[in-house]
Amino acid sequence: MLLQVSDLAIRSRSGGVRILDGVDLQLGAGEVLGLVGESGCGKSMTCYAIADLLPAGLVRAGGSVRFDGVDMGSLDEPARRRLRGGRIAMIFQDPTSHLNPVHRVGTYLEGALKRHRGLSGTDARMEAIRLLERVGISDAKRRMNAYPHEFSGGMNQRLMIAHALACEPDLLIADEPTTALDVTTQAQILDLIETVRAETGMAILIVSHDLGVIARLADRAAVMHCGRIVETAPVEALFDRPAHPYTSALIGCMPTVDPDDCDPPRPIRGSVPSLADLPGGCHFHPRCDRRMPACGLARPPLAALADGQSSACFNPVPTW
Amino acid sequence: MSRFLANRLLRALITLFLTVTFVFIVLRFSGDPAEQMLSPDATPEAMQAFRERWGLDRSILEQYLFYVRNIASGEFGFSYANGRPVIDVVTERIPKTLILTGAGLVTLILIGVPAGIAAALRRNTAADRITMSLAVGGYSIPSFLLGLALIYVFAVELRWLPSSGSGDWRHAVLPIATYGLAGAAGIARFTRSAMIEVLDQPYIRAAKAAGIAPIEIVFRHALPNASIPIVTMLGFNVAGLLGGAVLVETVFAWPGLGSGFVRAVSQGDLAVVQFMVLIFTAFMVSVNFTVDVLYAVLNPRIRLSDHGAH
Repeated sequence: MLLQVSDLAIRSRSGGVRILDGVDLQLGAGEVLGLVGESGCGKSMTCYAIADLLPAGLVRAGGSVRFDGVDMGSLDEPARRRLRGGRIAMIFQDPTSHLNPVHRVGTYLEGALKRHRGLSGTDARMEAIRLLERVGISDAKRRMNAYPHEFSGGMNQRLMIAHALACEPDLLIADEPTTALDVTTQAQILDLIETVRAETGMAILIVSHDLGVIARLADRAAVMHCGRIVETAPVEALFDRPAHPYTSALIGCMPTVDPDDCDPPRPIRGSVPSLADLPGGCHFHPRCDRRMPACGLARPPLAALADGQSSACFNPVPTW
Repeated sequence: MSRFLANRLLRALITLFLTVTFVFIVLRFSGDPAEQMLSPDATPEAMQAFRERWGLDRSILEQYLFYVRNIASGEFGFSYANGRPVIDVVTERIPKTLILTGAGLVTLILIGVPAGIAAALRRNTAADRITMSLAVGGYSIPSFLLGLALIYVFAVELRWLPSSGSGDWRHAVLPIATYGLAGAAGIARFTRSAMIEVLDQPYIRAAKAAGIAPIEIVFRHALPNASIPIVTMLGFNVAGLLGGAVLVETVFAWPGLGSGFVRAVSQGDLAVVQFMVLIFTAFMVSVNFTVDVLYAVLNPRIRLSDHGAH
């Protein structure tokens, strides 16, 4: 396993608000894992926790993150720093605000090449230009002198991908990489991610609330709800026969353009509970059509079903 | 860029012209210079002779046009007090003031900016609170009071430094410290909040995610962004230094523009006061101009709009 997250828990420093509660994730070398769920369910915090980038108000409350067999918690800060941006690269939602407005494109890329690959001077510059060309930015030589505000959002996301590729990472963490972009640009960025994945064979952890993005890129997907993983499965299985009622409801919310499918999208009733005031047992039970008395009393464990699918539900949707 | 410069130059000239006019009008209506310059028991004939000598018997409009014409041709008149050319009286004081304010500015930057950065990095710790309490204290004390306190401690009690005058570098230490400490307090507070705001930006998190060392994040990623508002604030500080010169130079009997201004005003030496106000205004205009240029240098987004690319 390249990345193994076990029983990861995050809570707020001040009070007892649990942001993540016993999250387990596995990601093999070269695999693409999609992490999907509604806004605020903890997807991004999972990424930050893996990359050791938690905001000041949050702390790890338990669990471990192992990268390539090594417990990240056992490493000192310089060693973790060599991993970040080196073997683990990250790209973000809203690329423009994640790029330093006073640094030129060339400075940004050359910095990464210098830091993690020891290139400098002309070598770094040539490699930076090559990276820009590789992510489809035309007129790369001239654009080395540009600033991020002179680029469109899509170009800035390409630039972040070039920066991620600069260090030839084993794992790319992509936190909602297409959410802030318009639809045609989204498709281009997804194409680009697919291409670089095919070229480099790096593993990708892609976070999105958009099931379409997950369906397109991921080999396997994990569904997150209120800080917990409620289902993981190979992508085809997840969409064909979701086992958890929440997954099923999420898929039911997706509009479709299939002429044979006349079902209108079905919104999930009720609203997402507040993390500060979660219902007991399974956090989804008050909104669930399949709830049983036990659902409000105990947390259902993530139990393996067939074919690599597992679900945290006492009364899963029949998948046969 | 040349359009920007021409525009700024024109605005500077308009500012200077308006200041000259305003000061002229205010001063002419603030009292009779003859009464202020001459002793109270001067004869009416002596008063009249003084007015005639300096052209004060003519109409205000006439005096104004005469004054503006003279300024335009580089004639600034003579001191009513001792008859020396105003330009000599004032220019010999300019370097004295520039030494104090320049060294004061460097001192306040060297103390204030690092203190603010340190406090921002240790946000909400004891070190942060102590630094910021000192800064609030320093910010609240009027500069002349701080000057008197420094004189008391270092000149009167410890006898390390002279309390007044301008003989050698030792005379400059206390006034520079007064400027530096008072200004550093404000800049430290401002630097802290600017750094905190920048350190919360997404690009700082992205820099951490790229494995960049903390010291590099602070100085190469955060500080260049925070310096944009800090430079604006420093512009106000320079203005404050020049204004403060009136008090600080008087406290330390330092023969600069500030103490010279106080003396000229109390003597009713109109020609000197007018020219000094003109010099102060010219300083302020050039400080503002420098801030604008620095702003464009530091902030690439402004540079672009200046080229008319938007």
